[in-house]
Amino acid sequence: MIDRGTTASTVKERAQLALNDDFLRKAVKFTTERLRNGKEAAAEQHGNWEEWRERGKQIRLHTIAYLDYYLNLFADNARANGVHVHFAETADEAVKITLAIAEHRGARSVVKSKSMVTEELHLNRALESIGVEAVETDLGEYIIQLAGETPSHIIIPAIHKNRYQIADLLSAEAGEILPPDTAILAGFVRRKLREKFLEADIGMTGCNFAIAETGSMVLFENEGNARMVTTVPKTQITLMGMERIIPSWADLEVMATLLPRSATGQKMTVYMSGITGPKRKHDADGPEEMHIIIVDNGRSLQLGDPEFQELLNCIRCGACLNACPVYRHIGGHAYGGTYSGPIGAVLTPALNGNVAEWDDIANASSLCGACYEACPVKIPLHEMLVYLRRRKVEAGRGSKAESLGMKGFAAVMGGARRYRTALKLAQLGQKLVVRDGGIRMKVGPLKGWSSYRVTPALADRSFRQRWDTLEQEIRSGLSEIDPTVQKRMEQKRQERGQEQGGHGHA
Amino acid sequence: MPDTERSWLAEMESRSLAKQEAFINGIAAKLQRPRVLDKPAHPFRGAPDFWQTFEWPVTERIERFTENFRSAGGHVSRLPDLDAARSFIAGKAAEMEARHILRQDGPELEALNLEGCLPEPVRVAVWNREPGDNWKERAAEADFGVVYADYAAAYTGSITVLSDAGKGRSVSLLPTVLMAIVPVERLKTRLGEILGDFDRSGTGALPAGIHFISGPSRSADIENDLTIGVHGPGIVYALIIG
Repeated sequence: MIDRGTTASTVKERAQLALNDDFLRKAVKFTTERLRNGKEAAAEQHGNWEEWRERGKQIRLHTIAYLDYYLNLFADNARANGVHVHFAETADEAVKITLAIAEHRGARSVVKSKSMVTEELHLNRALESIGVEAVETDLGEYIIQLAGETPSHIIIPAIHKNRYQIADLLSAEAGEILPPDTAILAGFVRRKLREKFLEADIGMTGCNFAIAETGSMVLFENEGNARMVTTVPKTQITLMGMERIIPSWADLEVMATLLPRSATGQKMTVYMSGITGPKRKHDADGPEEMHIIIVDNGRSLQLGDPEFQELLNCIRCGACLNACPVYRHIGGHAYGGTYSGPIGAVLTPALNGNVAEWDDIANASSLCGACYEACPVKIPLHEMLVYLRRRKVEAGRGSKAESLGMKGFAAVMGGARRYRTALKLAQLGQKLVVRDGGIRMKVGPLKGWSSYRVTPALADRSFRQRWDTLEQEIRSGLSEIDPTVQKRMEQKRQERGQEQGGHGHA
Repeated sequence: MPDTERSWLAEMESRSLAKQEAFINGIAAKLQRPRVLDKPAHPFRGAPDFWQTFEWPVTERIERFTENFRSAGGHVSRLPDLDAARSFIAGKAAEMEARHILRQDGPELEALNLEGCLPEPVRVAVWNREPGDNWKERAAEADFGVVYADYAAAYTGSITVLSDAGKGRSVSLLPTVLMAIVPVERLKTRLGEILGDFDRSGTGALPAGIHFISGPSRSADIENDLTIGVHGPGIVYALIIG
């Protein structure tokens, strides 16, 4: 994970970096709100959204429940279409197969369309290590590749960069100063990448869906770069998570209804392409040779696990990121893995099979359930986050400070005398740090809280300390009550007593 | 391909077949049951039932297609026949000063006879007419790409093009402007009406490339600012005929 652009090691540290970056916070908030509102409007306009979600969920559940059957069918059909199919259990194997193809084809350059799987595999670095140039061609991905970073959003990878930063990056590439004008910057990228497409030896893609019954792979995109990548170079390599399967083209209608609307609020992405094998004998374009590498890389760990199997239903739309209040504040890089937001918080530890090492990202959630509400295939992410936290504690990886704190809390609260003593000590002690009725000091045990807020001081006299006085006031107050009011209250009490057999508060 | 390469591919192939067996068996084992070899019943196949019968009359299909395609940034013109389409394209070519026009091959576009009505210096090339030419480069330099759509769907505002020898995928992708002729009888209501055909034709009969196009190429990757024509055509016309 060296390309992250930050070396902070815990979610908390990374989030701190993000929280202090005002632009990032505003950009992420603006974009995610726009996408979320777009999604809600699109779902509303389409109508019967709940029924479509349910259908989407059922199709995904069915496919995963019979994944052995459908994946096998897909592989056989893809092979019959002339595709070279490969299976990779680990990231390492997938990388080896890719590099072997690149070497045998004498490739010097690879053009890539957006693919989260290749991010998982850190494929660009591997290709560069054997002297093959790997060029990201999605506009956002190209920008962050130039910046030497990784995507911070599954749909809008360069969400964290402003146009001035982008102009600087592209100017360095162009060798001339480009103004921070979106049309000019995009125009430069179009020209630059045109050359790259035409000279590339290999086109590399991910895969949104793979259709088992015909062995076809389907890509959704807006820019046309995935079409370029699958049309122009002589060799195509598709890396596909083993769970990307759907049974039929009929099922694709449901996915095509859910995915674009959930991702960006579009009725349809500009391009949806179904690729079935390499170019036919008399075709004048399309790849001559096509490889599909089916990747496990931790996915099968979810199979048969009742708490996490539904993770494999994910269609990678990013709606949970846009809906998540925590993501909106800390941005994608804070999660520290390939996938960010609520899906990343669950998927990263799940794919890595080492819950313990990633345990802190399960805490980057308020468990509000907005992710579940947004999910087009109804994955209960908020429940999975609770399972992760439970597994972490069960594995003895709970925070030491937290359990020590809990023990201390139990000891203090367990006896009235101990509590009184602790309170008095705190009231005395805080005199050193309280200013204007609050604690603003950013050190010590309250640091995490005080960095962004003011901790209110303890009252000079607590409620319990004031109780004697309060009690007296109330008692004497009651005796001074207006006799007519007192009478009315008595009367009411009697009436109620008769109706309900003495229970005044049914 | 040299023999060494062929044998390398064959070796990869046999390794993959062996691996497939282990890989698929591993999935069945994780699912804690024997491997499923027969097609399972799939009670939730395709769109919900209420959707399967949904259809607009043709006038509404045209209206909705137009509305959706335009809101995605595309242009739509309804024209009575191919003659009108020819004049429309010729008019746009003159207006935009197009020099290179590339069209798909096929009887309908043959009948359109663009070649006969566009004066010099406009050059009209027909995809893959002469073998050996670098057709991808021809497409990359073209100002206009002209295609005859295989389908269109009104509900999403999408045009569908299928590839074959005369119908290059590049024709709808690399030129600056895309002109897609959509005969009205090919305009459906839902995507599902089109996708169903691919299930019916099945493996072996599908073209290598099936492309749904729903407007000009776009991106919002720079500060959410919508940019048109990032990689694919930035100007897209749907000409509905009939």
